[in-house]
Amino acid sequence: MTDSIQIGYLLRAGTAGFVAGCSVSQLEAPALGELVRAPLEKAYSVYGLITDIHIDDDGLVRQLVTAGNISPEVMHDNRERRIVPVEMTVLTVGYELDGKVSHLLPPRPPLSLDVIYLCSDADLTKFTGSGHFGYFRHILQAKEIPIEEVLAAHILQVKNKTKNVRWVEQATQELITLLKDDYPTLMTVLGALGEVSA
Amino acid sequence: MPLNFQQVIDRIKEIGLGAKARQQDLDTRRRHARQLLDEWSKKTAELRDKVERARQSDPGLRCALPLDEPLDAATQQPEGQKIALLLAADGSQIAPDRHAAVLYSLVNVGAIRIEPGSGKAPEVFTESSLLFADDLYTETGILTGEAVDLQRDIAERKKLLELAKQVTGPCVALTDGPLELWGAKDANEGDYRRNLDIHKSILSQLQAKNVTVAGYVDKPGADLVVRALEVALQPKGQLKDIRRQHPLRGVTDRWLYGDVLEAGQRSAVFGMQSVSRPHYIGDLALHFFYINVGDAQHPSIVRVEVPKWVVDDKDQLDLLHSVLLEQCRVMGMRPYPYILHRAHEIAVVKFEEKQQVEQQLELELRRAGGEMGEISAKQSAKDLPGRSGIK
Repeated sequence: MTDSIQIGYLLRAGTAGFVAGCSVSQLEAPALGELVRAPLEKAYSVYGLITDIHIDDDGLVRQLVTAGNISPEVMHDNRERRIVPVEMTVLTVGYELDGKVSHLLPPRPPLSLDVIYLCSDADLTKFTGSGHFGYFRHILQAKEIPIEEVLAAHILQVKNKTKNVRWVEQATQELITLLKDDYPTLMTVLGALGEVSA
Repeated sequence: MPLNFQQVIDRIKEIGLGAKARQQDLDTRRRHARQLLDEWSKKTAELRDKVERARQSDPGLRCALPLDEPLDAATQQPEGQKIALLLAADGSQIAPDRHAAVLYSLVNVGAIRIEPGSGKAPEVFTESSLLFADDLYTETGILTGEAVDLQRDIAERKKLLELAKQVTGPCVALTDGPLELWGAKDANEGDYRRNLDIHKSILSQLQAKNVTVAGYVDKPGADLVVRALEVALQPKGQLKDIRRQHPLRGVTDRWLYGDVLEAGQRSAVFGMQSVSRPHYIGDLALHFFYINVGDAQHPSIVRVEVPKWVVDDKDQLDLLHSVLLEQCRVMGMRPYPYILHRAHEIAVVKFEEKQQVEQQLELELRRAGGEMGEISAKQSAKDLPGRSGIK
């Protein structure tokens, strides 16, 4: 079991999702599909899945790439010293209130500069083990995200961290049920999940 | 009322009509300047003598003082890689604004230390000094914008010295703009003198540390060498009239050396004849050279100001030459020393930051029961949203 790792601060938020920022030097921890948590109050946390990580350029970076032959000092300077935030887009998938996990959308979103943590193995087990995959519908309804890639990454992370093979089988079965009327999406999701089990 | 575009456009058309004639005139003066440069190239002693004579008539004369190198000398980039620790500092400031709700001023200095070849991230430093109440007054009244500029310049150089004191090997310390302290004309004279003494003390301490100090002037608009050529043109008996003689007006050193220097080359080093020359003497005497930091297709001539101790040490001059070219190459098609750009980026106070400082200051004063001013009616009116037009 590992403790929660702080991965950034909240930049902007809505009920259905939020965006967190961190510096490039903090980028080692978060990954696509990871479950993150924004603890708002003592007994209230919002959970989300990372659906996108992107780094904006700026005028200087654009100019530097035209020069080529960038020295390690200049590279480190731009990654570690300059204020170039990495933005992580997070899809809200549930919340926890007074110790009870819900896969519904939270009553209110996190606030600016709230600290965002990567969920510990215990958090992950608790969240994924609650209810019956209710949070999958948030993912499947989010048409602007790469649904199959996020699902595959998430399921792989649960598999690796919790070692719960039965959960993976049940999750796959649940997806087949949820997507029985959407054959194209089901096939791409199963294709991506095939990579997980490979 | 918006601009009276009719008047502006009429004037623009007039400007356009005269463009060809003006260009022909400028081309003639440029050819003349180039010809004079060739003609006087090796007569440096004679020209130096004429400049000294002209200076006696006009101490405010600002021009190049030739040394021993020919005027059109072009020195290649020194061979071999020169390794040195690099330092740069830049500053920004908020001048006191009597129209604002709170009267304050702020000087912000950004500095950076790069160790080329180390593979390490550079170290960056920021020092912010908030001036309030008594800090805002000099013996003659409230701090002017020029006085704040002086404080900023001194703060930059103090930071460079502080960083240089921690260095043991070769070190190059850069600032953006001229090396000499500006402000003699506008700022309070006593204030300027005090800061000048501090500046010279800092320079001497940097010299004692054997630091290669330079001021980098991008896109220089000055005509220092051209002005010396105008002195050359003037008969000896008429040098006292030099202030009114500008036969090469419009020709810049940047154009002149764009024709002389190939990519990577630097010009001869010149002494600086200016009103501040008596202030910088001995090893601190100000000198300069031009360098082409561009490439064969896009020449880019910049001026580099250095103290005499750098000029007298060929190793330091070569080191500076190499470092500037290396730093400019980092920036690709728009050559400018990377380290100076970063120092500027660190130092600059953004509008939002200025607003935050003001809000926090107002909040603290209110909380502590201090007297709060209010924005002037004039400023308040200026801040009103404009008409958005008919929708």
